[in-house]
Amino acid sequence: MSAADFSTISPVVAAVLVAAAILLVDIVRPGSRTLAIATSLLGLAIVAAVVLWAGQSTADAFDGAYRQDALTTFLDLLFVAIVAFTIVFAPDYLESRDLPFAEFAAVLVFAMTGAMLLAAASDLLVLFLGLELMVIPGYLLAGFAKRDALSTEGAIKYFLLGSFSSAIFLFGLVFTWGLTGSTRIDDVARHLTDMLSGGASMSAGLAMGLAFMTTGVAFKIAAVPFHYWTPDAYQGSPTPITGYLSVGPKVGAFALILRLFIGALDPLKTDWLPVMEILAALTMTMGNLVALTQSNVKRMLAYSSIAHTGYILVGLAAYAAGRIEGLEGVLFYAAAYTFMNLGAFAVVAALQRRPGVTSHLDTFAGLGRREPILGVLMTLFLLSLTGIPPLAGFFGKAYVILAAVQAGGTLTILAVIAVLNAAAAAFYYLRVVVYMYMREPTSEAEPPKHGSLVWAGLWAASALTIAIGVFPGPLLDAVHHAALALP
Amino acid sequence: MDITGLPILTLITFAPLVGAILIAFIPRSSAGLVRATALGTSLVSWALSLFLLVGFLPSHPNFQFVERADWISAFGIQYKLGVDGLSLVMVVLTTTLTWISILASFGPIKERVKEYMISFLILEVGMLGVFVALDLFLFYIFFEIVLVPMYLIIGIWGGANRIYATIKFVLYTLVGSLLMLVGILATAFAFQAAHGGNWAGAFDYETLRQFSFDSTLQLFAFLAFFLAFAIKIPMFPFHTWLPDAHVEAPTAGSVILAGVLLKLGGYGFIRFAVPLFPEAAHTYAPAIILLSVIAIIYGAIVALVQPDLKKLVAYSSVSHMGFVTLGIFVFQEQGLQGAILQMVNHGLITGALFLLVGVLYERTHDRTIAKMGGLSAQMPVYAVAFGFFMLASAGLPGLSGFIGEFLVFVGSFAYSPAVAAASTIVMVFAAGYLLWMFQRMFFGELSDFFKNAIGHLDDLRPTEVLTLVPLGVLVVVFGLFPGLLLTLVQGTVTEVLHGAAQASAINLAFWQ
Repeated sequence: MSAADFSTISPVVAAVLVAAAILLVDIVRPGSRTLAIATSLLGLAIVAAVVLWAGQSTADAFDGAYRQDALTTFLDLLFVAIVAFTIVFAPDYLESRDLPFAEFAAVLVFAMTGAMLLAAASDLLVLFLGLELMVIPGYLLAGFAKRDALSTEGAIKYFLLGSFSSAIFLFGLVFTWGLTGSTRIDDVARHLTDMLSGGASMSAGLAMGLAFMTTGVAFKIAAVPFHYWTPDAYQGSPTPITGYLSVGPKVGAFALILRLFIGALDPLKTDWLPVMEILAALTMTMGNLVALTQSNVKRMLAYSSIAHTGYILVGLAAYAAGRIEGLEGVLFYAAAYTFMNLGAFAVVAALQRRPGVTSHLDTFAGLGRREPILGVLMTLFLLSLTGIPPLAGFFGKAYVILAAVQAGGTLTILAVIAVLNAAAAAFYYLRVVVYMYMREPTSEAEPPKHGSLVWAGLWAASALTIAIGVFPGPLLDAVHHAALALP
Repeated sequence: MDITGLPILTLITFAPLVGAILIAFIPRSSAGLVRATALGTSLVSWALSLFLLVGFLPSHPNFQFVERADWISAFGIQYKLGVDGLSLVMVVLTTTLTWISILASFGPIKERVKEYMISFLILEVGMLGVFVALDLFLFYIFFEIVLVPMYLIIGIWGGANRIYATIKFVLYTLVGSLLMLVGILATAFAFQAAHGGNWAGAFDYETLRQFSFDSTLQLFAFLAFFLAFAIKIPMFPFHTWLPDAHVEAPTAGSVILAGVLLKLGGYGFIRFAVPLFPEAAHTYAPAIILLSVIAIIYGAIVALVQPDLKKLVAYSSVSHMGFVTLGIFVFQEQGLQGAILQMVNHGLITGALFLLVGVLYERTHDRTIAKMGGLSAQMPVYAVAFGFFMLASAGLPGLSGFIGEFLVFVGSFAYSPAVAAASTIVMVFAAGYLLWMFQRMFFGELSDFFKNAIGHLDDLRPTEVLTLVPLGVLVVVFGLFPGLLLTLVQGTVTEVLHGAAQASAINLAFWQ
């Protein structure tokens, strides 16, 4: 290990140090929320700075096991933003339920470290390491409200299916490793190209490896039909954590897909592209159909996040079919989805400030009258999730659809399926607006006070949701730059 | 052609947005100030649009008052605005109907005035944007923006069944417009691919208009555009959202819905669908003409049996809009002129009819025709106003409703006498349902229902007169001097027909 290696992996090191610092501060001053929040946010700012510093150059570390490129930088910054928003939105909710904050923040930052490792992995084992480091804190977070039966149930389901799918994924990795003789992503790709040269077909072992890896990944991104853990895990978790789970591990898993499928398994593209297309169509359609029937907003958002996974998969398929715009679309969508979805969950969490308030649609009845600003912000996030211009979500959809149309063929059909789904999604997103503005409040209780941190986060998320839609230029440049990093 | 040196189209389009933002900061308690601000900003937009009318040069063939700025340069998407005769007429129609609608809402809207006025002003931004956008992406954005405020206006301030109606409205429109988005992107990509991967101009309307797309793309892209506009206008069989939306919408919502929103569909056909995909337009024309004739007859017959006053006017809109699509797709000069005139005149006349229905509804809270009778003695001025606009709607020569339909007849006769004959019969139906409605409402003994409500049956109030007079004046002026409008839109008509004349229907045999 050289000094150059160390400077290349400095973002990951910084993230680990921040997590440790949060824990240390909590030991020195137990239970001081303000200090823990300040430490976390300051730490995240430092991590972001380090990411930008390390991102000035492209470099490999540890004999090519770790790769720092523009894609890594983009994803790292996105992960930092996701965690920062989660930390900003959580304190009110956790405080009123007597849940500790420092542990929460530290676990979250560890999860972020795993995601960052994923984004930089150029070795199958590092990839798996990053994946596990990302999802294991996720299980902890899902069960964070340990006296709440639903939270525990969700966490156990999440954990069982999560470790099961990790095992399947690892099994697939092993096949690939055994047949190609290497764990380095570039080597794997090279060996696969050699093995398949001259029109040779895939061996049975390789086919199994590919099938297992695809299945494992499909579990992680909650693609239909591997999505069954999602609704329970999402509904049971404390709401700010649900927000995180619906974004963080999902974007992380897409980072894994980009590194693994685009990086290592590119030679097998003709075999997995049709699978991705089918997964995309199923995921969009099923996610939306089930979301239509939900009367609990958290559960509805959980299913709708499955649908959004489907839209992102459309971009991925377009990229695999040869359009760089597809990858740009995936990254753009991920960023847009982050802010609008975290914003929507933050409003739900704010409404649940008082323990015992459910996330049922009735909670939203008359919100436009009771808490007008919260109502307007929620409407904004929901409209963006629906894909109404000129908001961020619209642009994300337009981007992946453009890429699919460019790719042509079956992907054009996928684009049409995507827009029909977007129209169906309008029904359940707008139903929340119906409750907020077109129904009378069910309770006369005085609305709770929200902390200034929550307000700041909500304003920031809504500003980003609007800004990305109205002035998409800077983000377009960023995703364009990041997309060029992949071969 | 910028006579003032100001970005006047931007000012017209976004003046209402400034008003909406101002209103957001006015305290809820001062409803009067909210109303005044809304009316004020919509009047500003209207006054500026009249300046356009003065500065516009009808003889000049190109788009005028053009403003252009790069917006998303990575894809060649621009902020590009401009007007020709057609858009100019639609812009002035929109600004006029908006301030009238806002004024007409002063009385009926008493709850959540602030949100209502903000919604209405944002609605105006969207509508104006659609008519002035010269970039397809920008056009789509404005086209979608219209949805949200209308959704809220129907859903919050509408009638008993408002939630069902508003969701139906949104879902129908969204399905069409999202497919159009795929069409727009496919069109842009085809252009980009043909220009060596360069996005410049791929969304620019004036550039795309010069480009001939290949037949397969035309067939699919036209269908996508067609669906969006056919739902919006609405054409049979995509019309079923309209009666629900009209019945549930508040009066001003109905006025704007009938007066402007339906025209977004007609405008889209003339501006985008036909010029961009002329061959596909020719290919599908027979089917569209058939649907138009069905819409004309079906709308009129169904209107005949409606028990609800608003529903009757709504179905008559389906019939009237059938003339618009018929006029466009016969590809004859008189047909297209008639279609445009019909759009404007329907906006004025039906807008006024909805205002009049609203006047009565506010007094009696009922619209069932069967309960009405003998109103002429009780509300004479109202009866005269209603009669005037009713006759205009029935197509009485000398009033503006006549001239549009007449030109469409002439145009469609040149296309096929049978089509012209079929749609002429409807004049009889139209006179039938309108006169019968009028007779049931105003003549005979005062009905029991009205007797019970007699304390509320005061005649038109000054504000109500103020909302109706401008529309009445325009109906007379355009009825007597249709040339005023025809001169303005002649450039558009020539341009569209010139493009369409060079194209012929695609031979569908290549499918086999």
